[in-house]
Amino acid sequence: MFLGRVIGTVWSTVKWDGLEGLKFLIVRPYHYNDLLKVQAISGRFTLHDGVVAADVLGAGIGEDVIVAYGHSARVGIEPEIREGALPMKPIDAAVVAIVDRFHVYENQNG
Amino acid sequence: MIRGRVIGEVWATKKLPPLAERKLLLVAELGKGEEGFAPTGRVVVAYDRLGAQPGHEVVVSFGSGARNVIQTGGNRDILMDAAVAQVIDSE
Repeated sequence: MFLGRVIGTVWSTVKWDGLEGLKFLIVRPYHYNDLLKVQAISGRFTLHDGVVAADVLGAGIGEDVIVAYGHSARVGIEPEIREGALPMKPIDAAVVAIVDRFHVYENQNG
Repeated sequence: MIRGRVIGEVWATKKLPPLAERKLLLVAELGKGEEGFAPTGRVVVAYDRLGAQPGHEVVVSFGSGARNVIQTGGNRDILMDAAVAQVIDSE
């Protein structure tokens, strides 16, 4: 899982049937240097690569989220899997939590 | 698995139901540099039940391996893909 900020959304008309109605966000992971800067300058961070993640929680642009990968992501989007259904959607990243706050320790060496 | 250092914590109330009600740590990945281990820039969110403290160096497992930390066997419905598997002794 990683912590990232929602910076955009993705729309598509040609897609796998199972993806109809599902919202996709672009989430930019926080990197180590971003987190140290967030301590000093709130809300500003350098830009890095974005990850496309499915979202059923309703996260908006500018919010910080936790994104999970792989099977965890599919379970999040398709709860039927917990009852034994097979995964049907081509998804491998999903928003699993909208972050209230995070704290970076001031002394990185404990 | 990666080697990392515990640099912070994350709190979230709005989350998908099966996400365990456990402490979520921010762990900075460490890579071998010219002067020992240094942050590579990548930061992951990992579940912790070993009680890793700020600044501790840890080993984080991903995927199904991480879910074994939370529950051994029958854990395919746990919505967690990274967990602290070891707290590294100081060298």
